[in-house]
Amino acid sequence: MAEEDAGFASGVRACGGLGAFEAPSRSMKSAFPRLVLLLAAIVALPLAVRPVVASEIWIFAIAGMALNLIFGYTGMLSFGQATFFGLAAYTAGLMMIHWQAPLLVVLAAGTLVGALAAALIGYVCIQRVGTYFIMLTFGFNQMFFFIAYKWTVVTGGDDGLPGIPRPPLALGPLAIRLDSSLRYYIFVAAVFLLAFCVMKRIVDSPLGVIFQSIRENPVRAAAVGYDVKRYKWIAFTIAGAFTGFAGVLYSMMFGIVPLESISWIISGDIVFMVLIGGIGNLYGPLLGAAAFKWLSEAISVVWERWPLILGVALVLVVLFLRGGLVEAFTRLRDAAGGPRARREPGASVPVGIAAETEAGS
Amino acid sequence: MNTSLLAGAVLNGMVTGMLYALMGVGLSLILGLLNIPNFAHGVLYALGAYVMISGAKAFGFLGGLLAAIAAVAVIGAGIEYLGVRRLYRVHPDYILLLSFGLSLILTEAIILVWGPVGITFQPPALLAGAVDLGVTVYPKYRLVVMVFTAGLVLACYLVVTRTRYGAILRAGIEDKETAAALGINIGRVFTLTFAAGTGLAGLGGALMTPVRGLLPTMGIDILPFAFVVVVLGGLGSLPGAILAGLLVGTVQSLMTAIWAPGADASVFVLMTLGIIARPQGLLGQR
Amino acid sequence: MSDGALLRTDELTCDFGALRAVNRVSLSVKAGTLHSVIGPNGSGKTTLFNLVSGEIPPTGGRVYFEGRDVTGLPSHRLPHLGLGRSFQRTNVFAKLTVYENVWAAAFARRPHGALSFLRRASEFSDVDAGVRRILGEVGLTHKLVARAETLSHGQQRALEVGVSLASSPRLLLLDEPTQGLAPEATQQMTRLVQSLVGRYTILLIEHKMRIVMSISDRISVMAFGELIAEGTPAEVRDNPDVQRAYLGARR
Repeated sequence: MAEEDAGFASGVRACGGLGAFEAPSRSMKSAFPRLVLLLAAIVALPLAVRPVVASEIWIFAIAGMALNLIFGYTGMLSFGQATFFGLAAYTAGLMMIHWQAPLLVVLAAGTLVGALAAALIGYVCIQRVGTYFIMLTFGFNQMFFFIAYKWTVVTGGDDGLPGIPRPPLALGPLAIRLDSSLRYYIFVAAVFLLAFCVMKRIVDSPLGVIFQSIRENPVRAAAVGYDVKRYKWIAFTIAGAFTGFAGVLYSMMFGIVPLESISWIISGDIVFMVLIGGIGNLYGPLLGAAAFKWLSEAISVVWERWPLILGVALVLVVLFLRGGLVEAFTRLRDAAGGPRARREPGASVPVGIAAETEAGS
Repeated sequence: MNTSLLAGAVLNGMVTGMLYALMGVGLSLILGLLNIPNFAHGVLYALGAYVMISGAKAFGFLGGLLAAIAAVAVIGAGIEYLGVRRLYRVHPDYILLLSFGLSLILTEAIILVWGPVGITFQPPALLAGAVDLGVTVYPKYRLVVMVFTAGLVLACYLVVTRTRYGAILRAGIEDKETAAALGINIGRVFTLTFAAGTGLAGLGGALMTPVRGLLPTMGIDILPFAFVVVVLGGLGSLPGAILAGLLVGTVQSLMTAIWAPGADASVFVLMTLGIIARPQGLLGQR
Repeated sequence: MSDGALLRTDELTCDFGALRAVNRVSLSVKAGTLHSVIGPNGSGKTTLFNLVSGEIPPTGGRVYFEGRDVTGLPSHRLPHLGLGRSFQRTNVFAKLTVYENVWAAAFARRPHGALSFLRRASEFSDVDAGVRRILGEVGLTHKLVARAETLSHGQQRALEVGVSLASSPRLLLLDEPTQGLAPEATQQMTRLVQSLVGRYTILLIEHKMRIVMSISDRISVMAFGELIAEGTPAEVRDNPDVQRAYLGARR
């Protein structure tokens, strides 16, 4: 067997993020504290950072979860997620500017645009694997970037698309205004929770196991009966939908859709966050988004060259801590001892069976 | 459009094409080794340019060129030895991410050392001025660079296909373990090749300084085009990279003359069409 | 189905450029039997398997499964038609647990519309029951939660078989299940394979002659990509061509 990559593996397993087979009662017990933690984080965040930054964290957490689905779970590294982020942002922006489209409509439209673009682009990219796939996603991203850059009539080019309103949230007779940063944050956090639950549902469903089996061994996945290309395409499209959703939220953050939304910079940022947070783990992108945004906020005021720190962080993570923050936390927890410390790394618990401690054979 | 303009565009296309071919060859060498696109390739091209102008101030044009090649090759070797090598046994995606991180670090480093503002550079007096080609008047330096780069690219091809080193390299790409078992110091070959591939990028950057000027983002700007060249040419195919480089350069240059706003996007449209029509690339294997 | 043949190959051929790895092999496997394929290393046995299971498209000839022409179908179609396969080099989902490995294979065979993806994987009790049954059969119940890559070689070979069983195949292609196993583990695996006879039709590649001779109903012998002999164990053992091909390799 190939040398085990503990980083990748522990990232994939810690925090029980992939506990698709946990017995409902058990999973509730282990999910509950994590959920509470998540809610606490949502409440506490705007106290720690500006609401604007906090909103960005959840927005990119959504995009990060999407990348995690195709990279962490399915094993496809996409370096072009900004394509869907940006396309959805521009679509939403244009709809709000020209048609005064309501909030829920643009959210749906952006998600649809993201999904559709991913379906088309994904279909071409999926035909290849590994390097080719990565470069194709990057190439498509560049193509749309250049189109957005030059088609200034529609996108505003380098100056961005300004004048984007923040429509109120219309729920039946209620129209909740989202003008202030704090109000928008609450909205963003709420829809993030929704997105999180949907994503959790997806990875807990058979799709989660199928995607992972494709990552682990595409030949065997096919040999047991899965049309690998089709499932890869499904994963890619789902990720595109989530990323588009995030893009719409982003478009309403600053009242402008910057050209950056569709540039490789955002693609790279999303990859960062997932990697630094902890790949393959449902909570990894959340940690990564928080760490990334908070760091960039904190450092960029002090030092204009903060991307250098980012680069160093990435290099260090890649070389020494491939499981990201999730792995760091797991190691700390294990080092501190405790009942879970002796549990075999990488065991998830199937229905009806109590956790076993395996010494490994 | 008059003939002079067209001729100029075609010549520009060939100059750019030769540069892209050079970048493609370097990237292809590394791609064949690591099976991963080297995201740092662009920034090493930029580094070559910047070292060149500093070196030229001290040692003249030729000295600057040599300094650029040396600096970038050494850095490339360092990257392979200290970073990439640790990741061979891990998932290849991590090598890409490493190179991406390095590209960020080096780009910022360039700004730190040379400042964020664009710089222009004059060719040496010997190669300055223009040549009258009849149909158009064209800068002498560009012609020289075009020819020189063409020769360089050809030399690379010959080295890889005709020399013992090239054979060892191709064997190592095919099957690292067997090659090592045969007593070949495969590690050294890899480091050397990485240095050579990146050195070519640095050389390309250095040579292009009078043509394209310098900007800290020049590395990031050229990287996607280098990728297109390699994807279009066929992964792992050196002649493919050369052919694709010329094609991409020509298309981009002609589009700039015909309809400038579409020039860059057209390169990617070309890539998309190429991949759909011929998934293995122009000269790739499948 | 002609004369009870569950699987039939007709002049099956596979060329890798100038190399002919499988040369016009025609064999047929009767339902309910254990049919072994033996031959020296490099005789094309695994390639033959690859041709049947869709890993490689043949360059000539045809494959019929239950009377149906399945030549050249992609590998992911075969399990749905009732064909399962294990690999010579252990080919499981390394970082997934033993349970998940078998579950993935078992779920693939379950008809699933889009709605089934809205449910938690743990809610499919029928799949769960099937998985536990198979794990019991291959003796890996105590390793349910272990990651596949942490298993010993013998346990991995057992998992390898378990995954192929999970597809509920009617025809099972087993490629050297005892590969690399110590004597005791070999015996366990042999007993496992024997327990499968009758419930499954088995096409077995095996090197260990004693096993082949004792459990096979029929044996096909390959050498240099060709079928050089076929018959009952007794017929094959006494066949001079076979003895020649194996010169000294008999155990």
